Amino acid sequence: MTNCDDLERPTRRFFLRDLGRGAACAGAAAGVGGLLASTGQAATKDAPAHEESFPTKDYDWTKHRWAYAVDATRCIGCLRCVEACKRENGVAEDAHHFRTWVERYVYLEGEEKPRVDTQADPVNIAAAGSEGRYRFANRYEDAKVEKAFFVPKLCNHCTHPACVQVCPTGATYKTKDGVVLIDHKYCIGCQYCVQACPYGARLFIHAKGVTDKCTWCYHRVVKGLKPACVEVCPVQARLFGDLNDKESDVSRFIRDNRVQVLKPETGNAPNVFYIGLDKEVC
Amino acid sequence: MPKHIARLIVLMVAFAAAAIYAKSYFTVDSFYRYGHYRADSVTDIASRDAAFLTPQACASCHALRHAEWSGNVHNTVICEVCHGAAQGHPGKAKVAIPAETQFLCTQCHEAMAGRPLTSIKQITVARHPPGPDCIACHNPHAPKIGATIEAAGDVHAGHESAATCAGCHGPNGLSPNPDWPNLAGQSAAYLTRSLASFRLGARKNDMMSPMAQPLQDNDVRNLASYYSALSCKAPAARTAAPSAPATATLAKSCAACHGESGRGSSNRSVPRLAGQNAGYLAAAMKAFKSGDRANPAMAEVAAKLADADIASVAAYFSAQSCGPNSN
Repeated sequence: MTNCDDLERPTRRFFLRDLGRGAACAGAAAGVGGLLASTGQAATKDAPAHEESFPTKDYDWTKHRWAYAVDATRCIGCLRCVEACKRENGVAEDAHHFRTWVERYVYLEGEEKPRVDTQADPVNIAAAGSEGRYRFANRYEDAKVEKAFFVPKLCNHCTHPACVQVCPTGATYKTKDGVVLIDHKYCIGCQYCVQACPYGARLFIHAKGVTDKCTWCYHRVVKGLKPACVEVCPVQARLFGDLNDKESDVSRFIRDNRVQVLKPETGNAPNVFYIGLDKEVC
Repeated sequence: MPKHIARLIVLMVAFAAAAIYAKSYFTVDSFYRYGHYRADSVTDIASRDAAFLTPQACASCHALRHAEWSGNVHNTVICEVCHGAAQGHPGKAKVAIPAETQFLCTQCHEAMAGRPLTSIKQITVARHPPGPDCIACHNPHAPKIGATIEAAGDVHAGHESAATCAGCHGPNGLSPNPDWPNLAGQSAAYLTRSLASFRLGARKNDMMSPMAQPLQDNDVRNLASYYSALSCKAPAARTAAPSAPATATLAKSCAACHGESGRGSSNRSVPRLAGQNAGYLAAAMKAFKSGDRANPAMAEVAAKLADADIASVAAYFSAQSCGPNSN
């Protein structure tokens, strides 16, 4: 039987990793010897001498721990979040590039598996009239629907992000306040991270040759604003807040509800907390 | 030590030194500051401008609309959901007035499998009377039929509180001093916004600020309703216009917002200028120019005006008859 603890703490993997690091260090020490002295100065770079707030003068990233919550029981599938995200972040307004998206799960009578579509489905694009606009078509109007619901999705800004682990250039990283970002100047477009992400949350911009992803609107967050998708949600299905603040929207949401995360078994430890999901949602 | 071994060691040391130098040369300074990434990229991302400005930004100019919206059921839907991101507005960027209202409204309100009724009121489009234009019946800012369209104040209560204002602004809202503004017939929305900004300190004036600070929300609304209801008929003694053709041309550019001859436009939070005291108008334009009064739209306009232009434009509007609203 699988123990939940095993899912949360892949201890064997960490043991092997540490073992590997130890071996590498020992080898390096033996081989290079005195040369290590010169790299000593590189190590001191880790601790900045000045105590200024970073990344802006009004915002100190060591004081926050951001998290996101989704109440799928409230979502109405209006896709205002998807449009706002594209506008806020300058994402191409087509049916192929989404930093956040909404899935619709529909269980028809007599069918075991749900039918799943997103705003990028051709039927829904046709209902919107063009690729720059988004709406869900009322395609199950005449069908016998047993159960249906919408699920907003976005980057989970995991505590142990697989995408950051595989990046060969240090172009993607996790900030101290818990946001996973991409440095477009350093991204070489290898797309390892796109494959590593278990949630399909990363997209590739062919025009620029770089990977892109949700930033929780980091540029808004450092200014004290909420992410655009949270701001425009008309039914408060999306919440954002600081886990360090026990009275923030997200802290209260997690405290007041039995929350779950997507694919906990991958060990990424997501920071987007859901309520109202069915077992088929992953 | 054998010669060939010494040579090998020298070679290895030289190679290692070259490698270390190359690494420090090609690695940008901020790379290892906080971890295996470029710290400057965090600053780059953080310094981008927000596109969605939130309703607080809208309220600073559209006070009346904001009041109407925030008191009604649509107050969970921020302005920019329907009007689009307000980045660059006010200024060059225009904010959209939605045209296809049925498409827009039914994005949320069309009855659909999966859309929870507990979240939102829904309609079946084919069965919902009567036509494609939702705003023919529903006020988008207060969509419930019969909801309060405008948060109007009580004129009689306003009349009573206005006793304190009469000392400077005249018993009928027509000020005896040309440097103080007439209030009679001014747009209620503009009066509400002005009083509210004096009260909250967004606008400052040695005489007005202490008068406005003790006011309550209700007082502001009542006073605005009272003064906007008064007749703005100018006193007969007003001097004739020094109507140079150049001034009339200049004043035309004001008409886009302030209405024909400054008599007000459909945007009621923009003040009427016709019949206003010239001294006050000139002082206001100078305040916009110097930045003492913060208003991005007016600052842009006033920056282009020389002092002589300001005086002649003020005289022009002051001499206009403040007849009925041009709209």
